[in-house]
Amino acid sequence: MLFHSWDFLVFFLVFYCVYLFVKGTRLKLPWLLVSSYVFYARSHPVYLVLICWATVFDYAAVRAMVKTRWKRPWLVLSIVNNLGLLGFFKYGRFLVDNVNALLERCDVPFAISDPNVSFLSTGLNAALSWLGTSYRVPPFDFMLPVGLSFYTFLSLGYVIDVYRGHVERERNLLRHATFISLFPQLLAGPIERAGHLLPQLRGVPKITRDDVADGLSLFVVGLFKKIALADYLALYVGMVYAAPRDYQAPALLLATFAYAWQIYFDFSGYTDMARGVARLMGIRLMLNFNNPYLATGLGDFWRRWHISLSTWFRDYVYIPLGGNRHGEVRTYINMILTMLISGLWHGAMWTYVMWGAVHAAGRVCTRALEQTTVYRERVPRFAKQMLTFSIVMVAWVFFRAASVSDAWLILGRIITSGLADPLFPLLLVGLVLSVWVYQYVYESRFRRIVSAGPVRAVLIVAMLIYMAAAVTSSNQEFIYLGF
Amino acid sequence: MQATATTRETERAAIRPVDDRFAANDVRLSPCGWLVAAVVTLAAFWIIPLVWQSLEPLEMGVDYRIPYRLGNDYWQFERTCRQACRGDATILIGDSVMWGHYVGTHQTLSHCLNESSPDRTYANLGVDGIHPVALYGLVTHYARAIRNKRVIVNCNLLWISSPQHDLSSGKEARFNHPALVPQFACRIPSYRATASERLGIVVARHFTFLQWADHVRMTYFDSEGLADWTLEHPYDNPLSRITLELPSPDEPPSPVPDARPWTEKHMRQITPEWVPLEDSLQWRFFCRTIDLLRKRGNRVFVIIGPLNEHMLTQRGLAGYTERQVAVAAWCAQQGIPHAVAGALPSAAYADLSHPTAEGYALLAKQLMSEEAFRD
Repeated sequence: MLFHSWDFLVFFLVFYCVYLFVKGTRLKLPWLLVSSYVFYARSHPVYLVLICWATVFDYAAVRAMVKTRWKRPWLVLSIVNNLGLLGFFKYGRFLVDNVNALLERCDVPFAISDPNVSFLSTGLNAALSWLGTSYRVPPFDFMLPVGLSFYTFLSLGYVIDVYRGHVERERNLLRHATFISLFPQLLAGPIERAGHLLPQLRGVPKITRDDVADGLSLFVVGLFKKIALADYLALYVGMVYAAPRDYQAPALLLATFAYAWQIYFDFSGYTDMARGVARLMGIRLMLNFNNPYLATGLGDFWRRWHISLSTWFRDYVYIPLGGNRHGEVRTYINMILTMLISGLWHGAMWTYVMWGAVHAAGRVCTRALEQTTVYRERVPRFAKQMLTFSIVMVAWVFFRAASVSDAWLILGRIITSGLADPLFPLLLVGLVLSVWVYQYVYESRFRRIVSAGPVRAVLIVAMLIYMAAAVTSSNQEFIYLGF
Repeated sequence: MQATATTRETERAAIRPVDDRFAANDVRLSPCGWLVAAVVTLAAFWIIPLVWQSLEPLEMGVDYRIPYRLGNDYWQFERTCRQACRGDATILIGDSVMWGHYVGTHQTLSHCLNESSPDRTYANLGVDGIHPVALYGLVTHYARAIRNKRVIVNCNLLWISSPQHDLSSGKEARFNHPALVPQFACRIPSYRATASERLGIVVARHFTFLQWADHVRMTYFDSEGLADWTLEHPYDNPLSRITLELPSPDEPPSPVPDARPWTEKHMRQITPEWVPLEDSLQWRFFCRTIDLLRKRGNRVFVIIGPLNEHMLTQRGLAGYTERQVAVAAWCAQQGIPHAVAGALPSAAYADLSHPTAEGYALLAKQLMSEEAFRD
């Protein structure tokens, strides 16, 4: 169920009316859990089994971890289970395809069958055969379960936090299950921390008038980002990236620029809506984006972009690898590894790995530069922002392209092809520029101008009227639902 | 107790780094701010479509019909309806047979009737492609203004000439005016929209501003959304497109139909898979439309047909005649004045159901000769 769909509106109205009555009673958790499962099952009922499995498994693992002296085996078991789920559903096919390609290249006359297709049907057919029936189920092709990468990381983070003694075990299975599957953050985050979300589920949520106003503000802004900006940009990006050979440098450059903003509006719009919905329920979810395209370095960019994921990788991957505690070389190695894993987290394709690699390379190259006094003090802030944005743009080429070779083709054509008219809509330029200027002003000393109440009210009214008048029905999924 | 306190400490330590402030950009309203914004927005939603009507003049001559381009513009239909009902006109509703698919505004049935009866005015509110299920939606939601008027409804049996036309085929099919068919009240076998799409349609029916936005899109932006339009016209100013001039009712359909008689277009005889009347979804909705109109105080007259009998095989013709008789019997039973359109000469049809200009003139003559019609 998408936040910007009418059925979500109906779902939420029904949910919210009941929630207001039960939030202070014992029925709060069952109602939150049932609603979250309904929200998820609306489009993917089968995969509820996976959420339940991940929930029960980690509940049991943490319980055993706390009750015994041998904590580490339970932690390892939980990691294996969560990464196993991800590995099977997200990376199984990728792995098999690559191994088969390698075997073929080495002229080995053997190929592994696709686990996503064969696993269930082979198992069921073996069972049917054992039962003596002649019926055989057809091969069952798995889709990537929506939200899998998010809730497995959420759950894994919780298990690691309990292992480290950062949070107490959640004894109540209902609360634990609600924490894993809370619907505003279930499909695409933010990847919350147990220490932040669980305490909020323990108490009686207080919903003030300010919470409602803030929730609505977040939701409207998020909705505008998604349906008025991201989906608009997606039209141009989709057109150019579908046939990069047909376009020349200006169009390819502008499409990449447009994609940078599309993915920002799409994902931060989703996050705003998720946070808005949660805020209406009296729950605060963490900030996930903080004007990332105003970052003055790649490190700064990662402190502003998908904050819940980047801090997750920092806390559970980069620091355990040693962080920057073991000298420069290890620091760089850890940085590269973390970025590559982060790339792979986004999807089982080499394009995502390359995206991570470009970020890693960019970070390695700019880190030393950023530490020099000349760069820190003499180079204007705007120039630093442009440099960072340029590196991020190059990385987005790999992220968006259909394949690595397409990405190289696009980069090549940006440098070598002609200067044909890109036919980029002026209205789109105006919309993106106004957002960028707004963000720029917001981070400058003129912040008071855009923070004034009347300015905000005019902005909200303008967004509402624009969405109703100019946006046709939008059922485009969020980009991050694919991860 | 101590354990709990320790736990709290550790939790607090984990909470500290999480940034859960409102947002990066503070586009945030206070409760009062929201109240003001909501009032202003709702006022804008109410006022803009109202003011628009005075900015964009609708000049309806006697033979006016809804421009082809605005066939799906129900806001404009409602507006046209209101204007047409200001006088004492008899309203003609129905599909492209009433609208006049192959003919100009001065050759339609309403025009021919206006010519033959100077003391009475007939207003053409036909909508191209509107089948009975959609007609029921159109009358229910957008034709309230015709209350208490004399209404002539066309019963085009083409819509029950196959399960596909009848929308009762189990297979999903694309059909005209899906926004007018019932979304939740009854199941239409050929219609497979998601719950979200259905809800969107229901909301749009009750939200005039959205209908107005559709009107602007259809009138000035080739029925495209602003985003799609700017992609095709990247350097054009969208506001300059809004000329506040409605398309002409004489604008031909797209693609321009071949108005020659069917015999000159190498069309062959056919045997429709007629749907039994008692099983027909379209027929059920036709009956509902008549009921609704009568409940609203309309004096209803039903024209059964015309249909190109020359284009039917003997078996097809038998099926048609059987249904034509059954419809007439139903009308008689309900006490609804009606007329069965007699067969026109073969050359007076452009296809299976649409008359040519000559056909409309003959049909008007036939109707004027019916006493029930003249009354």
